Amino acid sequence: MSRIALVIGAIAAIVYPIPLQLQGYTYYQTVGFLVLLNAMLGIGWNVVGGWAGQFDFGPQVFFAVGAYTAALLFVKLGVGAWLGLVAAVVVAFLICAVLTYPLTRLRGHYFAIATVAIWMIAQPIGATWEFIGGSQGLFIPVKPRGGVVASALSLQFSGPTKALGYYYASLVLFAITLALMALVERSKLGYYFRAIRDDQEAAEGIGIDSRLYKVLARSITAAVFAAGGVLYAFWALSVFPEQALELNWSTLPIMATVVGGIGRLWGPVLGAIILIPIAQIMSTTLGTGPLAGRGVDLIVYGLIIVLIAAFRPTGLLSLPWARWFRLRRSATA
Amino acid sequence: MTELAQAVVNGLQMGFLYALVAVGLTIIWGLMEMINFAHGEFLMLGMFAAWGLSAAFGLDPLIAIVPIGLVMFAFGMLVYQQLMRRVQGGDPFTQIFATIGLLFLLQNAVVAAFTSDYRFANDTLLVRLGGAKLTLLGLTFAVPLLLAAGLALVLFLALYLLIERTEFGLALQATSEDRDAARLVGIRPQRMFAVAWGLGAALVAVAGAILVNFFSVYPQVGLQFTVLAYAIVALGGFGSILGTLLAALLVGVIQSVTVVYLPPAFKDAFVFGSYLLIGLFRPQGLFGRF
Repeated sequence: MSRIALVIGAIAAIVYPIPLQLQGYTYYQTVGFLVLLNAMLGIGWNVVGGWAGQFDFGPQVFFAVGAYTAALLFVKLGVGAWLGLVAAVVVAFLICAVLTYPLTRLRGHYFAIATVAIWMIAQPIGATWEFIGGSQGLFIPVKPRGGVVASALSLQFSGPTKALGYYYASLVLFAITLALMALVERSKLGYYFRAIRDDQEAAEGIGIDSRLYKVLARSITAAVFAAGGVLYAFWALSVFPEQALELNWSTLPIMATVVGGIGRLWGPVLGAIILIPIAQIMSTTLGTGPLAGRGVDLIVYGLIIVLIAAFRPTGLLSLPWARWFRLRRSATA
Repeated sequence: MTELAQAVVNGLQMGFLYALVAVGLTIIWGLMEMINFAHGEFLMLGMFAAWGLSAAFGLDPLIAIVPIGLVMFAFGMLVYQQLMRRVQGGDPFTQIFATIGLLFLLQNAVVAAFTSDYRFANDTLLVRLGGAKLTLLGLTFAVPLLLAAGLALVLFLALYLLIERTEFGLALQATSEDRDAARLVGIRPQRMFAVAWGLGAALVAVAGAILVNFFSVYPQVGLQFTVLAYAIVALGGFGSILGTLLAALLVGVIQSVTVVYLPPAFKDAFVFGSYLLIGLFRPQGLFGRF
């Protein structure tokens, strides 16, 4: 990705909600928040799925671990959201490492079902564990602080600027994730991950401990999901098992990664920019009116997904964008 | 003690129903290694078809399995040829993406046509036999479940013979092991994949038609069975048809025994916990060849 495109993209992302906010809209800021959140989760999942090539269908467990950790710290000990976020990332990383190490004995589809297994076991635990609120979960009270700085420092936005505040919070976390993963991609770690994906035996032959690096890849993914979970919990003002452990927290980021281009740093970003607004537009247009509740929006959404998969199975970033843009530039010159 | 023995018996009977659901997945996923997130939707289509034929024409699901199986065989081949054949060119994860799209499409097409209401097939042979029980050694067996279990056994045996004892089955296995080598000896891999998808869809739809006798029908019914079916195929081991059958019985027993001692919410958790535990000692599943 060229530097000019990066600058243009960054400016667009920063400026995008301002005219909307001035006109009194809040809906599109929330769509932007969901796009950035899912793009961030997709970048995280790309580490284990795209680079290390492991089938991980259970990262939503660590989304919940993150959400619960920060919510518990906030509700029970009064620890602020950002400090809670750091704690959540560390806790999720460690829990994931401990849980995943024994699972790395399993390979391919067997490993995939093991990640599902952890999710299936987490659900009844979340629903029955009284310390974390059982099936009711935890409510995060809004503590009004007043002022932009105070809101940003406590990650609590309310009133007409709520959507705007969380949009920028998600933009910050998204940018941090993207920058860190860009570092990982070019580091020794990133090359080890891809070596294991492409040929595990060969990677072990040159001395890479494949089990260790698989655990590391999945734990990095878990850390990103935990950060996303904290952000979402403070936006939703609550954490409960059915919400935090919802399957969508893994399927949407995986879908975004695949549609954009798996294994490419910007793949999940492009995918989320395409998939999330389509879903939102579908549900606000086709999902209302006389056909509301009949799933027409999801039929069209499903059809779009099927068509993208059938005609571009290698992802949209694999399209010859550079050539097209050069053509257009030479045509205008 | 009798309580435990009865739980085991009940679990075995449920296990045969699970085996029915998993058997189609054994072919598409276990043998051909293609991921189908819409497997539960094929099951749901089978259930709706059986409910519809029973409600509209009074056709018993046990007879309706023939037309349903044939139609879904064609449907499965269509899905492979129009969608999955193209998707095979990309990353394996693209199969997930494509079949999630298919899941949305099929599930909500049924929501649009029939709404999300729960529906029941009332006037079927097995439902009318509902109260009938056999008692043996102090344990009770429900007759409808026994009949369904028998049917599951027959289907499994037929499939086992088809895959392990016929030239077609060998060609299918050859394709799953090495596509290029199979092509060299004159097998057309894409035709094999298409037939595998047809068989998988037909078998799971037939399973759905039988399940109509025991479970209510609604558009989202597929997921609960699919999650278990995936665990069963992996637990049994890839490429092993008998492994799937035995794993399904084990899963049924684990569930019903768990419920004796713990809240029902934990029954699936114990199934998956057992999977993890067994996986630590048998990473290739109970009977897997690889």
